[in-house]
Amino acid sequence: MGSKTRKIFIVLIVLIMCFSMTGCFDKREVDDLVNPIAIGLDKGRNRSIRMTLQIAIPTKVAGGGEGGGGGGGKESVSYTTVEAPSIYSGLNMINTYVSKQLNMSQIKVLVFSEELAREGIEKYVNSLMRGREFRPNSYLLVARGSGNAAERYLRAVEPELESNPAKYYEMVLSAYSYTGFSSNTTLVNFYKNMVSESSQPLAVLADISKFENSDDINMDNSTYREKGRDFPLEGDFKAGDMPKVGTIKSEIMGLAVFNGAKMVGEFDGEETQLQLMLEGDFGYSYVTIPDPIAEDYVVLLSIRQNRKPKRTVEMIDEKPNIKVKIYLEADILSIQSGINYESIDKVKILEDSAEEFIEKDLAKMLEKTAKEFKSDTPGFGKEMKGKFLTWDEWINFNWIEKYPESKFEVDVDLKIRRPGLMLRTYPATGIEVGEE
Amino acid sequence: MEGKVIFGKREAISILLVLICNQLILGFPSIMSNSVGSAGWIMTIYVSIITLCLFLIMAKLYSAFEGKDLLDIGEFVGGNIIRIIVGLLVVIDTVFLISIKLREYTEHIKIISFTQSPVSFITLFFTLGMIISVYYGIEPLVRSASIVVPVVAVGIIIVVAGSVKNFEFSNIMPILGTGPYDIFVGGLPRISIYSGLLPLFFIPPFMGGYKDIKEIGILAIIISSVVLTLGILAYLLVFPYPTSANSVLPFFELSRVLEYGRFFQRIESVFLLTWSLAGMIYLSSGLYFIVYVFSKTFRLKYYRPLIIPFTLIIFASSLIPKSLIEIMYIDNKIIRYYSWIITFGMTLILLVIARLVKRKKRGMAKNGK
Amino acid sequence: MADFKKLMKDIFAFKEPKPQEEFILKEKESEKIDGGEGANEKAPEKKKKGLFKNFFVNGEKKDGDSKNENDSPEKMVYVSKNLDENVNYLKKRFSIPTNGDVVLREFDIVVKDKKIPACLIFYDGMVNGMLINLNILQPLMLLSNLDIKDKDGENNISEYIHRSLVTHNQVKVSREFDEIVGEINFGGCGVFIDGIETAYACDVKGWQHRSVDRPNNEIVIRGPQESFNEILRVNTALIRKILKDEDLVAESIEIGARSKTPCSMLYIKDIANESLVAEVRRRLKSIKTDYIFDTGELEQYIEDNTIMSTPQIVATERPDRVASMLAEGKVAVIMSGSPFALVMPTTNNDFLQSAEDSYVRFPYANLLRVMRVIAIFMSLLLPGLYVAITNYHHEMIPTDLLFAIEASRERVPFPSVVEIIIMEFAFELIREAGLRVPSPIGPTLGIIGALILGQAAVAANIVSPILIIVVAVTGIGSFAIPNFSLGFSFRILRFAYVFLAAMAGFLGITFGLFVQSIILCNAKSFGVPFMAPFGPKTNSGFQDQFFRSPIWKQEKRPDFLNTKDTRKQPKISRQWIKGNKKK
Repeated sequence: MGSKTRKIFIVLIVLIMCFSMTGCFDKREVDDLVNPIAIGLDKGRNRSIRMTLQIAIPTKVAGGGEGGGGGGGKESVSYTTVEAPSIYSGLNMINTYVSKQLNMSQIKVLVFSEELAREGIEKYVNSLMRGREFRPNSYLLVARGSGNAAERYLRAVEPELESNPAKYYEMVLSAYSYTGFSSNTTLVNFYKNMVSESSQPLAVLADISKFENSDDINMDNSTYREKGRDFPLEGDFKAGDMPKVGTIKSEIMGLAVFNGAKMVGEFDGEETQLQLMLEGDFGYSYVTIPDPIAEDYVVLLSIRQNRKPKRTVEMIDEKPNIKVKIYLEADILSIQSGINYESIDKVKILEDSAEEFIEKDLAKMLEKTAKEFKSDTPGFGKEMKGKFLTWDEWINFNWIEKYPESKFEVDVDLKIRRPGLMLRTYPATGIEVGEE
Repeated sequence: MEGKVIFGKREAISILLVLICNQLILGFPSIMSNSVGSAGWIMTIYVSIITLCLFLIMAKLYSAFEGKDLLDIGEFVGGNIIRIIVGLLVVIDTVFLISIKLREYTEHIKIISFTQSPVSFITLFFTLGMIISVYYGIEPLVRSASIVVPVVAVGIIIVVAGSVKNFEFSNIMPILGTGPYDIFVGGLPRISIYSGLLPLFFIPPFMGGYKDIKEIGILAIIISSVVLTLGILAYLLVFPYPTSANSVLPFFELSRVLEYGRFFQRIESVFLLTWSLAGMIYLSSGLYFIVYVFSKTFRLKYYRPLIIPFTLIIFASSLIPKSLIEIMYIDNKIIRYYSWIITFGMTLILLVIARLVKRKKRGMAKNGK
Repeated sequence: MADFKKLMKDIFAFKEPKPQEEFILKEKESEKIDGGEGANEKAPEKKKKGLFKNFFVNGEKKDGDSKNENDSPEKMVYVSKNLDENVNYLKKRFSIPTNGDVVLREFDIVVKDKKIPACLIFYDGMVNGMLINLNILQPLMLLSNLDIKDKDGENNISEYIHRSLVTHNQVKVSREFDEIVGEINFGGCGVFIDGIETAYACDVKGWQHRSVDRPNNEIVIRGPQESFNEILRVNTALIRKILKDEDLVAESIEIGARSKTPCSMLYIKDIANESLVAEVRRRLKSIKTDYIFDTGELEQYIEDNTIMSTPQIVATERPDRVASMLAEGKVAVIMSGSPFALVMPTTNNDFLQSAEDSYVRFPYANLLRVMRVIAIFMSLLLPGLYVAITNYHHEMIPTDLLFAIEASRERVPFPSVVEIIIMEFAFELIREAGLRVPSPIGPTLGIIGALILGQAAVAANIVSPILIIVVAVTGIGSFAIPNFSLGFSFRILRFAYVFLAAMAGFLGITFGLFVQSIILCNAKSFGVPFMAPFGPKTNSGFQDQFFRSPIWKQEKRPDFLNTKDTRKQPKISRQWIKGNKKK
């Protein structure tokens, strides 16, 4: 027994010696760290970038040691902007004057300014993917506008419902599943699409509200005229142009379209919805359809996508011929004209017109991606890829260059399933009092 | 040696699974995708089938030598010299392998969460674990392997199942990857991924008869091929080819994008727990294997005095490679290309010769009569 | 210097281990995988080789006695014919009159006008006085004159007295002094009669003791509410009452050279593995000590590994639990004076099970099991995990929680390791102190400790509130472990995990888990691997492992016990199912 206890004793001593000599290298107390929740990158002077960090102040966010609910909004975060040659060197610089060590593991959004995005963000995305601390599932945003758009946007973020801005980002960016006006543009997705030769990356558009009070609201920046509509529908806006005022200044709507790592154009809200439908990620959303019979009236549908779209790509005369069939389901939310579309014989009319409405927009949007952006955002290349047996054949085929010549055939299959709680709209009864 | 240690089928299979499947956690998926692109999973299946065939041949050859391990067979073939050659080959091969893997585990854990710690600090934990477990012998080791394997399996299943929603079938699409030649001819040396089977030919003295060995081998190959294929398939389905080939830690990358709702994000550190557990079992069984083969080769009575020297050798040689890049090069280009030579090549040759020798002896005996 | 050299040599030089044969519960012949080498060694052979040298060659005490004789030449081995000699010797041996509670009563027996001097000796307070008066003194002093039909009465007075005079149910006749004295020490009454070279020891135990009470520590909601008390025979009777099986053997073994504490080794003769029974017997008999007081001590004498923190023998105060384990093929040891029975061999599973598990319906039992395993992991790892996560793996904390922790730690001056050790220490302190304080103050102290201390510590910014939750949950978790000693062992290991986590985060915890699993898998309890149903995977025939299957499915006894009778119940134990079908 004696030798055994001694052995154990010796092992213990050796252990203690080893560990006391080495020490705790990576140990960082939680309160020795500071957690930025958003990072904004703008174009700086010369070749540097201007980096803005949005840092949550935990005592304010979580309510602090004793008493006092955290004051939401602006007080819970602080900002700092620095100009540096690269992201990591910027962090290093910030570390010198921010008392705690920066820990990037809680970063929720990465905001690039439009200027930077149009120049190309490949090098930044690569370095972000390489770093361990940056999360692959933080969202990539592009802030519209000239100059320091990213900084402007971040400084405008004032969450009202949450004391924690990190939660604001998480919630607002996952809202696409019930609005369809943004998309899941996480860093890892962006990176995958950026490197891939069968699809192109996208990023969510963000901006701050242009209007100070409700009298200023105008529709000048809406895209409805390009689409040949008489009045704007809810999807005909991009971030920043939305006709809204309120305490929440920051806006998210639409997508920035990239070709490679360079931003080439923008999708408005509706195009974003269509993009989601093409990918099969469209959750559900309220969509306004012009009334097929009564002009000037609209019908409101709650549209869901329950099946993945059927996409086929064929090569006809060396040109891709792309066929898409999208399956949608809809519930009626409102029929303003009061026409009895709920009845068996009339529901077809509504379905057809809704299909046609979506098809038209879809064709337009696809044309736009091919001709204007030359960027395969819906990732039809993935379909094409399956037709090849080996990698070399596929690479030599060079899809990215072939895509702009594509022809599109779009087919939407929309079924109206439920009329909501009402089977028919009854008109309001009353006497029309003409103006004398 | 300390009497007879008998352990069951399940323990043997679990330890072989640990020995084979640990590479899933290390660079295996990205190495496979590096060599054949999106067809890595096809190559895994192909290699598994070839390995299975090879193993069946070996099992057939082995059937005449029930209850003997390779060293005994070596002695049977050519006396002490062959035995010592076989033993030394195995020991050197395994020492090389284990020290590279030790460094690889260390580097990976360093990347995952110990960026500031020196390599030797992390290696220390592994080596201490190795020393302690080997000191207690093989029995507790295989037993804890059989307890740990389900835990690690659950960890892998969580990762695979959690990434189902990120699956995209077009990612594995040019179905043959970089081409059938690469898969079916270039993939042949890749049977090295099953080089972990080697200890199987050394456990007969601990186990039952030939049937058991055959059954264990077949089961271990099938289960590990399923695990490896599923793992690499999940990885390739989530990451398209050019992305998938350049990841240092493929499975870690996979677990990083895992999300179960808003709360369970960023849980990859939990897998550090299960993976390093598997790593410790892998390394310790490797060390035990080395020490056991060495002591048996030289007919040493005790293996315990060998533990510390061999650990020191492994520890020191694991620190030789300069960088992770070098380690990955060695792992990818040497271990995964040539380690089959010992496991399959040497064993097969030895078994064939032994068979011939046996036949000759029998013939001589008959003639003599 | 030489010492130092020797020490160094001792440390680094390899010493050949002493050949020791370990006891391993061997497979039965029928079950053996391959009959290759040395089959079952016979138990008696093993006896000689064991860890402890066996002094009692045949399990008799004669050896010991003869040794005693050598020690003191004056000692009387046999009862003398002469009463005076006996009385003198007794006076010396029991230190009369210094020893106040020994009563030596001399009297005469009148047989046919003849007066035979006799004496009684017993300890006051340990005997039932009424029994002595009525059943010993009365017949000897008053009824001895009755005409008793006996031919050779004169010849064999001793036989006569034994057979016809002493109207008491348990009388031991012996020539050996030590045996009689042993009985007297254990509440018997010694009767010495002049002219006879034997003495009588009547069992008149009548000391004050607890009656059979409700269990204090292993409380169940459903199931029997009895627990052992300090009386050996009451305890064995409690078990027999449940098992009602004549194959249940209660083998008597005495432990302690001086105390001769009676113990009872219980097993079911046609279920328990023989070599297991022999091993337990061997270990029990080989204990050489003067006094032994409780099964707690006995446990430490017979367990396999003393240093390992995990207990290897179950101690229980519930007769029903002992009975059910005996029915599985285990061996129990009960000791006089201890309300806890030891059951062995024990595997990791037995510590996770409470007596209630088999009494409640199976879905409930499984919920309880899962809860318990979670509780175990919490009590073992939670503080360690907290330290690891907050010090090394921040990224896995959800953002909101991270900010909460960060905010709460903002004003705490200590590193979180120190913080958690302070709180754990405080908690252990409350626990220990709570046991010691007089019972009326007990609950108050608990409240003061838990509430006020925690509250004040948070208010004073000594610890963060989240940490209080961690420590409290850990504490509660450790109480959910059904076995007290296992809870204890986890309380110790918890600190090891905190240190490991502080050193290297999850890597340290993994290291700890790995080493612990190696040690646990290496451990054996009476030849049975400690992690038995999992460690070496045994046949799944035994359905009461981690999860419990419905009671009718538990057809077999645990495989690792290698019982003689492996089947508990037939394949179809609910015969009424069959009956219904036939209709």
